[in-house]
Amino acid sequence: MKINPPFVEKVLCAFIKEELSKFHYSRGIIGLSGGLDSSVCAFLAAKALGPKNVIGLILPYKKTFREDVRDARSVARRLGIRSRLIDISPMVDTYFSRFPARDKIRIGNKMARERMSILYDFSAKEKALILGTSNKTELLIGYGTIHGDTACAINPLGDLYKTQVRELAAHLGVPERILAKKPTAGLWPGQTDEGEIGLSYEEIDQILFQLVDDRQPPEAVIAAGFSRESVEKILSLIRNSEFKRKMPPIAKISSRTIGHDFLYPYDRNR
Amino acid sequence: MRISLAQVAPRLGDLQKNFELHHYFIEKARKKKADLIVFPELSLTGYTLMDMVQEVGLNPAKAPLFKRLRALSRDIDIVPGFVEEKEPGLFYNSAAYLSKGQILHIHRKVFLPTYGMFEEGKFFGQGKNFRPFPTPFGKVGLMICRDFLSFGAGYILFVGGAEVIIVISAAPGRGFSDEGGFATSRMWELMGEALSFFSSSFVAYSNRVGFEDGKAFAGGSFIYNPLGNLVAKAPAVDEQLIIADLDLEEVRSARKKWPFKRDDRPELLLQALQRIVYDNED
Repeated sequence: MKINPPFVEKVLCAFIKEELSKFHYSRGIIGLSGGLDSSVCAFLAAKALGPKNVIGLILPYKKTFREDVRDARSVARRLGIRSRLIDISPMVDTYFSRFPARDKIRIGNKMARERMSILYDFSAKEKALILGTSNKTELLIGYGTIHGDTACAINPLGDLYKTQVRELAAHLGVPERILAKKPTAGLWPGQTDEGEIGLSYEEIDQILFQLVDDRQPPEAVIAAGFSRESVEKILSLIRNSEFKRKMPPIAKISSRTIGHDFLYPYDRNR
Repeated sequence: MRISLAQVAPRLGDLQKNFELHHYFIEKARKKKADLIVFPELSLTGYTLMDMVQEVGLNPAKAPLFKRLRALSRDIDIVPGFVEEKEPGLFYNSAAYLSKGQILHIHRKVFLPTYGMFEEGKFFGQGKNFRPFPTPFGKVGLMICRDFLSFGAGYILFVGGAEVIIVISAAPGRGFSDEGGFATSRMWELMGEALSFFSSSFVAYSNRVGFEDGKAFAGGSFIYNPLGNLVAKAPAVDEQLIIADLDLEEVRSARKKWPFKRDDRPELLLQALQRIVYDNED
Protein backbone atom coordinates (compact mmCIF):
# COMPACT_ATOMS: atom_id res chain seq x y z
CA MET A 1 0.00 0.00 0.00
CA LYS A 2 2.98 2.29 0.32
CA ILE A 3 3.30 4.91 -2.36
CA ASN A 4 6.34 6.70 -3.68
CA PRO A 5 5.34 10.29 -2.79
CA PRO A 6 7.77 12.22 -5.03
CA PHE A 7 6.77 10.14 -8.05
CA VAL A 8 3.05 10.38 -7.25
CA GLU A 9 3.43 14.15 -6.94
CA LYS A 10 5.13 14.29 -10.33
CA VAL A 11 2.44 12.20 -12.05
CA LEU A 12 -0.48 14.04 -10.47
CA CYS A 13 0.96 17.48 -11.25
CA ALA A 14 1.50 16.40 -14.87
CA PHE A 15 -2.09 15.10 -14.94
CA ILE A 16 -3.57 18.37 -13.66
CA LYS A 17 -1.51 20.45 -16.03
CA GLU A 18 -2.17 18.31 -19.10
CA GLU A 19 -5.90 17.87 -18.52
CA LEU A 20 -6.47 21.58 -18.03
CA SER A 21 -4.48 22.52 -21.08
CA LYS A 22 -6.39 19.95 -23.20
CA PHE A 23 -9.59 21.77 -22.31
CA HIS A 24 -7.88 25.12 -22.90
CA TYR A 25 -7.97 26.16 -19.26
CA SER A 26 -5.05 27.53 -17.31
CA ARG A 27 -6.83 27.84 -13.98
CA GLY A 28 -8.16 25.42 -11.44
CA ILE A 29 -10.65 25.97 -8.65
CA ILE A 30 -10.97 23.95 -5.46
CA GLY A 31 -13.41 23.90 -2.57
CA LEU A 32 -11.11 24.30 0.44
CA SER A 33 -12.49 22.71 3.59
CA GLY A 34 -9.42 22.95 5.76
CA GLY A 35 -9.21 19.15 5.70
CA LEU A 36 -6.57 16.86 4.32
CA ASP A 37 -7.87 16.06 0.82
CA SER A 38 -8.64 19.57 -0.38
CA SER A 39 -5.37 20.82 1.14
CA VAL A 40 -3.38 18.18 -0.74
CA CYS A 41 -5.25 19.01 -3.92
CA ALA A 42 -4.45 22.70 -3.47
CA PHE A 43 -0.76 21.93 -2.91
CA LEU A 44 -0.64 19.84 -6.10
CA ALA A 45 -2.57 22.42 -8.11
CA ALA A 46 -0.36 25.29 -6.96
CA LYS A 47 2.69 23.32 -8.00
CA ALA A 48 1.21 22.21 -11.35
CA LEU A 49 -0.41 25.47 -12.44
CA GLY A 50 1.38 28.10 -10.40
CA PRO A 51 -0.29 29.66 -7.33
CA LYS A 52 -1.75 32.54 -9.32
CA ASN A 53 -3.78 30.06 -11.36
CA VAL A 54 -5.44 28.39 -8.41
CA ILE A 55 -8.55 29.63 -6.65
CA GLY A 56 -9.68 28.22 -3.33
CA LEU A 57 -13.28 28.73 -2.26
CA ILE A 58 -13.90 28.43 1.45
CA LEU A 59 -17.58 27.67 1.90
CA PRO A 60 -18.56 27.37 5.56
CA TYR A 61 -22.04 27.20 7.00
CA LYS A 62 -22.48 30.03 9.54
CA LYS A 63 -19.86 30.09 12.23
CA THR A 64 -19.50 26.36 12.60
CA PHE A 65 -16.16 24.77 11.83
CA ARG A 66 -14.22 27.92 12.70
CA GLU A 67 -10.98 26.02 13.00
CA ASP A 68 -11.45 24.51 9.58
CA VAL A 69 -11.94 27.94 8.06
CA ARG A 70 -8.75 29.06 9.76
CA ASP A 71 -6.88 26.04 8.40
CA ALA A 72 -8.24 26.53 4.90
CA ARG A 73 -7.11 30.14 5.01
CA SER A 74 -3.68 29.17 6.23
CA VAL A 75 -3.30 26.74 3.31
CA ALA A 76 -4.28 29.46 0.84
CA ARG A 77 -1.90 31.92 2.47
CA ARG A 78 0.93 29.49 2.60
CA LEU A 79 0.55 28.56 -1.08
CA GLY A 80 -0.10 32.13 -2.22
CA ILE A 81 -3.27 31.11 -4.06
CA ARG A 82 -6.35 33.32 -4.32
CA SER A 83 -9.07 32.44 -1.89
CA ARG A 84 -12.53 33.62 -1.16
CA LEU A 85 -14.84 32.97 1.76
CA ILE A 86 -18.53 32.58 1.06
CA ASP A 87 -20.98 31.76 3.83
CA ILE A 88 -23.53 29.30 2.45
CA SER A 89 -26.00 29.72 5.31
CA PRO A 90 -28.31 32.29 3.63
CA MET A 91 -28.97 29.92 0.71
CA VAL A 92 -29.26 26.80 2.84
CA ASP A 93 -31.39 28.45 5.54
CA THR A 94 -33.80 29.93 2.99
CA TYR A 95 -34.41 26.49 1.58
CA PHE A 96 -34.92 24.76 4.90
CA SER A 97 -37.18 27.56 6.18
CA ARG A 98 -39.60 26.42 3.47
CA PHE A 99 -38.91 22.69 3.76
CA PRO A 100 -37.81 22.13 7.33
CA ALA A 101 -35.63 19.12 8.02
CA ARG A 102 -34.08 17.51 11.04
CA ASP A 103 -32.45 14.70 9.16
CA LYS A 104 -28.75 15.51 9.42
CA ILE A 105 -28.00 13.66 6.18
CA ARG A 106 -30.52 15.73 4.24
CA ILE A 107 -29.11 18.94 5.65
CA GLY A 108 -25.53 17.85 5.05
CA ASN A 109 -26.26 16.79 1.47
CA LYS A 110 -27.96 20.10 0.77
CA MET A 111 -24.88 21.93 2.01
CA ALA A 112 -22.59 19.79 -0.14
CA ARG A 113 -24.74 20.56 -3.19
CA GLU A 114 -24.85 24.23 -2.34
CA ARG A 115 -21.06 24.24 -2.35
CA MET A 116 -21.05 22.36 -5.66
CA SER A 117 -23.44 24.90 -7.13
CA ILE A 118 -21.23 27.81 -6.09
CA LEU A 119 -18.09 26.06 -7.34
CA TYR A 120 -19.65 25.51 -10.77
CA ASP A 121 -20.77 29.12 -10.97
CA PHE A 122 -17.30 30.32 -10.02
CA SER A 123 -15.84 27.84 -12.48
CA ALA A 124 -17.71 29.70 -15.26
CA LYS A 125 -17.07 33.12 -13.77
CA GLU A 126 -13.34 32.57 -13.29
CA LYS A 127 -12.79 30.29 -16.30
CA ALA A 128 -11.33 27.70 -13.96
CA LEU A 129 -11.90 23.94 -13.97
CA ILE A 130 -13.03 22.27 -10.76
CA LEU A 131 -10.47 19.92 -9.26
CA GLY A 132 -12.13 17.11 -7.36
CA THR A 133 -10.90 16.07 -3.94
CA SER A 134 -12.64 12.73 -3.36
CA ASN A 135 -10.15 10.03 -2.47
CA LYS A 136 -10.34 6.34 -3.38
CA THR A 137 -11.57 5.29 0.07
CA GLU A 138 -14.54 7.66 -0.02
CA LEU A 139 -15.38 6.85 -3.61
CA LEU A 140 -15.34 3.11 -2.95
CA ILE A 141 -17.45 3.17 0.18
CA GLY A 142 -19.75 5.86 -1.20
CA TYR A 143 -18.86 8.33 1.50
CA GLY A 144 -19.73 11.44 -0.45
CA THR A 145 -22.78 13.32 -1.71
CA ILE A 146 -23.78 12.52 -5.27
CA HIS A 147 -23.73 15.74 -7.32
CA GLY A 148 -22.21 17.37 -4.24
CA ASP A 149 -18.60 17.00 -3.13
CA THR A 150 -18.02 14.25 -5.71
CA ALA A 151 -18.80 16.61 -8.62
CA CYS A 152 -15.76 17.90 -10.50
CA ALA A 153 -14.11 18.23 -13.91
CA ILE A 154 -11.10 16.08 -13.09
CA ASN A 155 -10.06 14.26 -9.96
CA PRO A 156 -6.36 13.94 -9.18
CA LEU A 157 -6.90 12.13 -5.86
CA GLY A 158 -9.41 9.44 -6.78
CA ASP A 159 -6.87 6.61 -6.99
CA LEU A 160 -5.26 7.28 -3.62
CA TYR A 161 -6.60 5.79 -0.42
CA LYS A 162 -7.04 8.15 2.52
CA THR A 163 -3.92 6.85 4.25
CA GLN A 164 -1.98 7.30 1.00
CA VAL A 165 -3.25 10.89 0.72
CA ARG A 166 -1.83 11.40 4.21
CA GLU A 167 1.51 9.98 3.09
CA LEU A 168 1.53 12.33 0.09
CA ALA A 169 0.48 15.26 2.30
CA ALA A 170 3.46 14.76 4.61
CA HIS A 171 5.78 14.81 1.60
CA LEU A 172 4.15 17.95 0.17
CA GLY A 173 4.56 19.83 3.45
CA VAL A 174 0.88 20.15 4.34
CA PRO A 175 0.73 21.72 7.85
CA GLU A 176 0.98 19.28 10.72
CA ARG A 177 -2.33 20.52 12.17
CA ILE A 178 -4.17 19.36 9.07
CA LEU A 179 -2.30 16.06 8.93
CA ALA A 180 -3.30 15.31 12.51
CA LYS A 181 -6.98 16.15 12.06
CA LYS A 182 -9.67 13.53 12.40
CA PRO A 183 -11.19 13.18 8.92
CA THR A 184 -14.75 14.44 8.71
CA ALA A 185 -17.37 14.87 6.01
CA GLY A 186 -18.22 18.10 7.81
CA LEU A 187 -21.95 17.47 7.64
CA TRP A 188 -22.34 18.40 11.31
CA PRO A 189 -20.01 19.45 14.14
CA GLY A 190 -18.32 16.59 15.92
CA GLN A 191 -18.94 14.15 13.10
CA THR A 192 -15.93 12.03 12.21
CA ASP A 193 -15.71 9.56 9.34
CA GLU A 194 -14.17 6.89 11.51
CA GLY A 195 -16.74 7.35 14.27
CA GLU A 196 -19.52 7.00 11.77
CA ILE A 197 -18.16 4.03 9.87
CA GLY A 198 -16.94 2.33 13.04
CA LEU A 199 -13.49 1.48 11.66
CA SER A 200 -10.24 3.40 11.47
CA TYR A 201 -9.02 4.56 8.07
CA GLU A 202 -6.02 2.27 8.45
CA GLU A 203 -8.39 -0.67 8.77
CA ILE A 204 -10.75 0.46 6.02
CA ASP A 205 -7.90 1.05 3.60
CA GLN A 206 -6.24 -2.26 4.36
CA ILE A 207 -9.49 -4.09 3.75
CA LEU A 208 -10.23 -2.12 0.57
CA PHE A 209 -6.71 -2.63 -0.73
CA GLN A 210 -6.98 -6.39 -0.36
CA LEU A 211 -10.47 -6.58 -1.85
CA VAL A 212 -9.99 -4.10 -4.68
CA ASP A 213 -6.33 -3.76 -5.62
CA ASP A 214 -5.31 -7.31 -4.77
CA ARG A 215 -8.62 -8.84 -5.91
CA GLN A 216 -8.76 -11.06 -2.82
CA PRO A 217 -11.98 -12.90 -2.00
CA PRO A 218 -13.60 -11.73 1.27
CA GLU A 219 -12.68 -15.00 3.00
CA ALA A 220 -9.00 -14.34 2.36
CA VAL A 221 -9.27 -10.86 3.89
CA ILE A 222 -10.95 -12.35 6.97
CA ALA A 223 -8.22 -15.00 7.14
CA ALA A 224 -5.65 -12.20 7.00
CA GLY A 225 -6.94 -10.97 10.36
CA PHE A 226 -9.93 -8.68 9.82
CA SER A 227 -13.24 -9.42 11.49
CA ARG A 228 -16.00 -10.86 9.34
CA GLU A 229 -18.24 -8.04 10.44
CA SER A 230 -15.81 -5.34 9.25
CA VAL A 231 -15.18 -6.99 5.90
CA GLU A 232 -18.88 -7.51 5.28
CA LYS A 233 -19.63 -3.94 6.25
CA ILE A 234 -17.08 -2.62 3.77
CA LEU A 235 -18.37 -4.94 1.06
CA SER A 236 -21.92 -3.77 1.51
CA LEU A 237 -20.82 -0.12 1.45
CA ILE A 238 -19.06 -0.75 -1.87
CA ARG A 239 -22.01 -2.64 -3.37
CA ASN A 240 -24.58 -0.07 -2.33
CA SER A 241 -22.75 2.94 -3.73
CA GLU A 242 -22.17 1.89 -7.34
CA PHE A 243 -24.69 4.51 -8.47
CA LYS A 244 -22.42 7.25 -7.15
CA ARG A 245 -19.59 6.09 -9.38
CA LYS A 246 -21.49 5.78 -12.66
CA MET A 247 -23.48 7.84 -15.08
CA PRO A 248 -27.16 6.90 -14.78
CA PRO A 249 -28.31 4.18 -17.19
CA ILE A 250 -30.16 5.23 -20.32
CA ALA A 251 -32.97 2.98 -21.51
CA LYS A 252 -31.67 1.59 -24.77
CA ILE A 253 -34.30 1.56 -27.48
CA SER A 254 -32.50 2.80 -30.59
CA SER A 255 -29.76 1.29 -32.75
CA ARG A 256 -27.07 3.46 -31.18
CA THR A 257 -27.27 4.74 -27.66
CA ILE A 258 -25.15 6.95 -25.43
CA GLY A 259 -23.26 4.83 -22.94
CA HIS A 260 -24.13 1.52 -24.62
CA ASP A 261 -22.71 1.64 -28.12
CA PHE A 262 -21.99 5.31 -28.70
CA LEU A 263 -18.58 5.09 -27.10
CA TYR A 264 -16.18 7.98 -26.92
CA PRO A 265 -13.47 8.94 -24.46
CA TYR A 266 -13.81 11.88 -22.06
CA ASP A 267 -10.72 13.37 -23.74
CA ARG A 268 -12.27 13.12 -27.21
CA ASN A 269 -10.24 15.19 -29.69
CA ARG A 270 -8.23 16.71 -26.85
CA MET B 1 23.21 3.06 -37.08
CA ARG B 2 21.83 5.88 -35.01
CA ILE B 3 18.38 5.13 -33.64
CA SER B 4 16.00 7.54 -31.94
CA LEU B 5 12.88 6.85 -29.93
CA ALA B 6 10.26 9.60 -29.75
CA GLN B 7 8.58 9.30 -26.37
CA VAL B 8 5.69 11.63 -27.11
CA ALA B 9 2.09 12.35 -26.09
CA PRO B 10 -0.17 12.32 -29.16
CA ARG B 11 -3.46 14.18 -29.16
CA LEU B 12 -6.45 11.89 -29.03
CA GLY B 13 -8.24 11.65 -32.40
CA ASP B 14 -6.42 14.58 -34.05
CA LEU B 15 -4.53 13.33 -37.13
CA GLN B 16 -3.43 16.77 -38.26
CA LYS B 17 -1.94 17.83 -34.91
CA ASN B 18 -0.27 14.46 -34.57
CA PHE B 19 1.23 14.70 -38.02
CA GLU B 20 2.72 18.04 -36.94
CA LEU B 21 4.06 16.38 -33.79
CA HIS B 22 5.68 13.68 -35.94
CA HIS B 23 7.10 16.24 -38.31
CA TYR B 24 8.62 18.16 -35.42
CA PHE B 25 10.30 15.11 -33.89
CA ILE B 26 11.42 13.78 -37.28
CA GLU B 27 13.18 17.08 -37.93
CA LYS B 28 14.72 17.02 -34.49
CA ALA B 29 16.01 13.47 -35.01
CA ARG B 30 17.24 14.26 -38.51
CA LYS B 31 19.24 17.21 -37.20
CA LYS B 32 20.90 14.84 -34.75
CA LYS B 33 21.75 12.63 -37.71
CA ALA B 34 19.55 9.73 -36.65
CA ASP B 35 19.01 7.01 -39.26
CA LEU B 36 15.70 5.87 -37.77
CA ILE B 37 12.99 7.35 -35.58
CA VAL B 38 10.49 5.13 -33.77
CA PHE B 39 7.18 6.53 -32.49
CA PRO B 40 4.86 4.87 -29.95
CA GLU B 41 1.76 2.76 -30.63
CA LEU B 42 -1.08 4.66 -32.37
CA SER B 43 1.16 7.74 -32.44
CA LEU B 44 -0.82 9.32 -35.27
CA THR B 45 -4.17 9.00 -33.50
CA GLY B 46 -3.82 8.53 -29.74
CA TYR B 47 -4.79 5.36 -27.94
CA THR B 48 -8.20 5.51 -26.22
CA LEU B 49 -10.10 5.95 -29.46
CA MET B 50 -13.11 3.69 -28.93
CA ASP B 51 -15.65 4.58 -31.66
CA MET B 52 -13.20 7.11 -33.12
CA VAL B 53 -11.28 4.14 -34.57
CA GLN B 54 -13.68 4.23 -37.51
CA GLU B 55 -13.07 7.95 -38.02
CA VAL B 56 -9.28 8.04 -38.08
CA GLY B 57 -8.45 4.90 -40.07
CA LEU B 58 -5.91 5.37 -42.88
CA ASN B 59 -5.12 3.27 -45.89
CA PRO B 60 -1.34 3.71 -46.24
CA ALA B 61 -1.48 3.16 -49.98
CA LYS B 62 -3.97 5.99 -50.48
CA ALA B 63 -4.01 8.41 -47.55
CA PRO B 64 -2.44 11.82 -48.29
CA LEU B 65 -1.03 11.88 -44.75
CA PHE B 66 0.97 8.74 -45.52
CA LYS B 67 2.24 10.30 -48.70
CA ARG B 68 3.64 13.15 -46.62
CA LEU B 69 5.16 10.73 -44.12
CA ARG B 70 6.72 8.72 -46.94
CA ALA B 71 8.22 11.94 -48.30
CA LEU B 72 9.74 12.64 -44.87
CA SER B 73 11.24 9.13 -44.85
CA ARG B 74 13.59 9.96 -47.71
CA ASP B 75 16.15 11.22 -45.20
CA ILE B 76 15.37 9.12 -42.16
CA ASP B 77 13.54 5.83 -41.64
CA ILE B 78 10.29 6.24 -39.72
CA VAL B 79 8.17 3.84 -37.68
CA PRO B 80 4.76 5.38 -36.84
CA GLY B 81 1.76 3.77 -35.17
CA PHE B 82 -1.68 4.29 -36.70
CA VAL B 83 -5.16 2.94 -37.28
CA GLU B 84 -5.02 1.10 -40.57
CA GLU B 85 -8.13 0.72 -42.68
CA LYS B 86 -6.75 -2.24 -44.58
CA GLU B 87 -9.92 -2.86 -46.51
CA PRO B 88 -13.02 -0.66 -46.39
CA GLY B 89 -14.46 -0.97 -42.91
CA LEU B 90 -11.66 -3.25 -41.55
CA PHE B 91 -9.56 -1.52 -38.92
CA TYR B 92 -6.25 -2.65 -37.41
CA ASN B 93 -3.87 -1.32 -34.80
CA SER B 94 -0.79 -1.13 -37.04
CA ALA B 95 2.85 -0.10 -37.25
CA ALA B 96 4.62 0.77 -40.50
CA TYR B 97 8.29 0.85 -41.41
CA LEU B 98 8.98 3.65 -43.91
CA SER B 99 12.31 4.03 -45.66
CA LYS B 100 13.47 6.08 -48.67
CA GLY B 101 9.92 7.03 -49.50
CA GLN B 102 8.66 3.45 -49.46
CA ILE B 103 6.60 1.37 -47.07
CA LEU B 104 8.84 -1.62 -46.32
CA HIS B 105 6.47 -3.38 -43.95
CA ILE B 106 3.22 -3.13 -42.03
CA HIS B 107 2.68 -5.07 -38.83
CA ARG B 108 -0.88 -5.48 -37.53
CA LYS B 109 -1.14 -6.01 -33.79
CA VAL B 110 -1.85 -9.64 -33.04
CA PHE B 111 -2.53 -9.64 -29.33
CA LEU B 112 -5.29 -7.11 -28.62
CA PRO B 113 -5.66 -6.72 -24.85
CA THR B 114 -9.31 -6.89 -23.91
CA TYR B 115 -9.67 -7.07 -20.15
CA GLY B 116 -9.85 -4.61 -17.26
CA MET B 117 -8.98 -1.18 -18.62
CA PHE B 118 -8.29 -2.47 -22.16
CA GLU B 119 -10.90 -2.78 -24.91
CA GLU B 120 -8.90 -3.25 -28.10
CA GLY B 121 -10.64 -6.46 -29.17
CA LYS B 122 -13.89 -4.51 -29.29
CA PHE B 123 -12.63 -1.98 -31.82
CA PHE B 124 -9.82 -3.59 -33.86
CA GLY B 125 -9.38 -6.54 -36.17
CA GLN B 126 -6.67 -9.01 -35.19
CA GLY B 127 -3.36 -9.21 -37.05
CA LYS B 128 -2.09 -12.65 -37.99
CA ASN B 129 1.66 -12.61 -38.34
CA PHE B 130 5.12 -11.70 -37.08
CA ARG B 131 7.45 -11.40 -40.03
CA PRO B 132 10.93 -9.84 -40.01
CA PHE B 133 11.85 -7.85 -43.10
CA PRO B 134 15.07 -6.45 -44.57
CA THR B 135 15.91 -2.78 -44.03
CA PRO B 136 19.02 -0.69 -44.68
CA PHE B 137 19.94 -1.60 -41.09
CA GLY B 138 19.62 -5.36 -41.07
CA LYS B 139 16.56 -7.47 -40.57
CA VAL B 140 13.93 -5.80 -38.41
CA GLY B 141 10.99 -7.34 -36.55
CA LEU B 142 8.05 -5.20 -35.43
CA MET B 143 5.73 -5.73 -32.50
CA ILE B 144 3.06 -3.58 -30.88
CA CYS B 145 2.79 -3.29 -27.09
CA ARG B 146 1.06 -6.47 -25.82
CA ASP B 147 2.60 -8.49 -28.69
CA PHE B 148 5.92 -8.04 -26.93
CA LEU B 149 4.67 -9.74 -23.76
CA SER B 150 4.13 -12.96 -25.68
CA PHE B 151 7.47 -14.81 -25.62
CA GLY B 152 6.19 -16.83 -28.58
CA ALA B 153 5.97 -13.66 -30.67
CA GLY B 154 9.55 -12.70 -29.81
CA TYR B 155 10.66 -16.25 -30.61
CA ILE B 156 9.06 -16.12 -34.07
CA LEU B 157 10.95 -12.90 -34.86
CA PHE B 158 14.15 -14.55 -33.62
CA VAL B 159 13.63 -17.61 -35.83
CA GLY B 160 12.72 -15.31 -38.71
CA GLY B 161 16.14 -13.73 -38.45
CA ALA B 162 15.46 -10.40 -36.76
CA GLU B 163 18.55 -8.50 -35.69
CA VAL B 164 16.71 -5.46 -34.44
CA ILE B 165 13.37 -5.94 -32.68
CA ILE B 166 11.30 -2.77 -32.55
CA VAL B 167 8.36 -2.49 -30.19
CA ILE B 168 5.97 0.42 -30.27
CA SER B 169 3.80 0.80 -27.21
CA ALA B 170 1.08 2.72 -25.38
CA ALA B 171 1.44 1.08 -22.00
CA PRO B 172 -0.28 2.77 -19.05
CA GLY B 173 1.63 2.73 -15.77
CA ARG B 174 0.24 1.02 -12.71
CA GLY B 175 1.53 0.72 -9.17
CA PHE B 176 4.60 2.24 -7.62
CA SER B 177 8.18 1.10 -7.40
CA ASP B 178 10.75 2.04 -4.78
CA GLU B 179 13.10 3.58 -7.32
CA GLY B 180 10.39 5.92 -8.61
CA GLY B 181 8.44 5.23 -11.77
CA PHE B 182 5.59 2.79 -12.24
CA ALA B 183 5.80 -0.78 -11.00
CA THR B 184 4.58 -2.12 -14.36
CA SER B 185 7.55 -0.58 -16.23
CA ARG B 186 9.67 -3.42 -14.84
CA MET B 187 7.62 -5.97 -16.79
CA TRP B 188 8.60 -4.40 -20.11
CA GLU B 189 12.25 -4.06 -19.16
CA LEU B 190 12.31 -7.66 -18.02
CA MET B 191 11.13 -8.82 -21.44
CA GLY B 192 13.51 -6.39 -23.19
CA GLU B 193 16.47 -7.71 -21.24
CA ALA B 194 15.51 -11.37 -21.70
CA LEU B 195 14.55 -11.19 -25.36
CA SER B 196 17.60 -9.16 -26.40
CA PHE B 197 19.92 -11.59 -24.65
CA PHE B 198 18.32 -14.86 -25.71
CA SER B 199 17.74 -13.75 -29.29
CA SER B 200 21.09 -11.95 -29.51
CA SER B 201 19.28 -8.99 -31.07
CA PHE B 202 18.80 -5.35 -30.30
CA VAL B 203 15.47 -4.56 -28.69
CA ALA B 204 14.13 -1.00 -28.94
CA TYR B 205 10.95 -0.20 -27.05
CA SER B 206 9.23 3.13 -27.69
CA ASN B 207 6.45 3.89 -25.22
CA ARG B 208 4.31 6.99 -25.03
CA VAL B 209 3.63 9.47 -22.24
CA GLY B 210 0.73 11.79 -21.48
CA PHE B 211 -2.75 11.10 -20.15
CA GLU B 212 -5.97 9.90 -21.74
CA ASP B 213 -9.12 9.71 -19.64
CA GLY B 214 -6.92 9.58 -16.55
CA LYS B 215 -4.68 6.77 -17.79
CA ALA B 216 -1.04 7.77 -17.34
CA PHE B 217 1.15 6.32 -20.08
CA ALA B 218 4.35 5.21 -18.47
CA GLY B 219 7.12 6.25 -20.88
CA GLY B 220 10.36 4.56 -19.85
CA SER B 221 11.33 3.77 -23.46
CA PHE B 222 14.53 1.73 -23.71
CA ILE B 223 17.09 -0.02 -25.87
CA TYR B 224 18.92 -3.25 -25.00
CA ASN B 225 21.91 -4.60 -26.92
CA PRO B 226 22.32 -8.23 -28.09
CA LEU B 227 24.09 -9.15 -24.84
CA GLY B 228 21.12 -8.01 -22.79
CA ASN B 229 22.71 -4.79 -21.59
CA LEU B 230 20.77 -1.56 -21.30
CA VAL B 231 21.95 0.99 -23.88
CA ALA B 232 19.55 3.86 -23.19
CA LYS B 233 16.44 4.55 -21.16
CA ALA B 234 13.99 7.44 -21.03
CA PRO B 235 12.36 8.63 -17.80
CA ALA B 236 8.71 8.07 -16.90
CA VAL B 237 6.15 10.85 -17.52
CA ASP B 238 8.28 13.29 -19.58
CA GLU B 239 8.27 13.73 -23.34
CA GLN B 240 11.71 12.97 -24.69
CA LEU B 241 13.71 11.98 -27.75
CA ILE B 242 16.31 9.39 -26.87
CA ILE B 243 19.13 8.69 -29.26
CA ALA B 244 21.64 5.85 -29.32
CA ASP B 245 24.28 4.49 -31.68
CA LEU B 246 23.88 0.80 -32.34
CA ASP B 247 26.68 -1.25 -33.82
CA LEU B 248 25.04 -4.06 -35.77
CA GLU B 249 28.31 -6.01 -35.53
CA GLU B 250 27.31 -6.67 -31.93
CA VAL B 251 24.69 -9.10 -33.20
CA ARG B 252 27.43 -11.14 -34.83
CA SER B 253 29.74 -11.04 -31.82
CA ALA B 254 26.91 -11.96 -29.44
CA ARG B 255 25.94 -14.93 -31.63
CA LYS B 256 29.56 -16.09 -31.76
CA LYS B 257 29.71 -15.99 -27.98
CA TRP B 258 26.30 -17.53 -27.30
CA PRO B 259 25.17 -19.85 -30.14
CA PHE B 260 21.47 -19.76 -29.20
CA LYS B 261 20.54 -19.09 -32.81
CA ARG B 262 22.77 -21.80 -34.29
CA ASP B 263 21.50 -24.43 -31.86
CA ASP B 264 17.84 -23.57 -32.14
CA ARG B 265 15.51 -26.30 -33.51
CA PRO B 266 12.31 -24.59 -34.68
CA GLU B 267 11.20 -27.71 -36.60
CA LEU B 268 11.17 -29.77 -33.38
CA LEU B 269 9.31 -27.04 -31.55
CA LEU B 270 6.83 -26.83 -34.41
CA GLN B 271 6.12 -30.55 -34.16
CA ALA B 272 5.72 -30.27 -30.40
CA LEU B 273 3.42 -27.27 -30.82
CA GLN B 274 1.34 -29.09 -33.39
CA ARG B 275 0.93 -32.01 -31.03
CA ILE B 276 -0.18 -29.67 -28.26
CA VAL B 277 -2.49 -27.59 -30.43
CA TYR B 278 -4.12 -30.43 -32.39
CA ASP B 279 -4.07 -33.30 -29.92
CA ASN B 280 -5.19 -31.60 -26.77
CA GLU B 281 -8.75 -30.66 -27.27
CA ASP B 282 -10.65 -28.80 -24.59
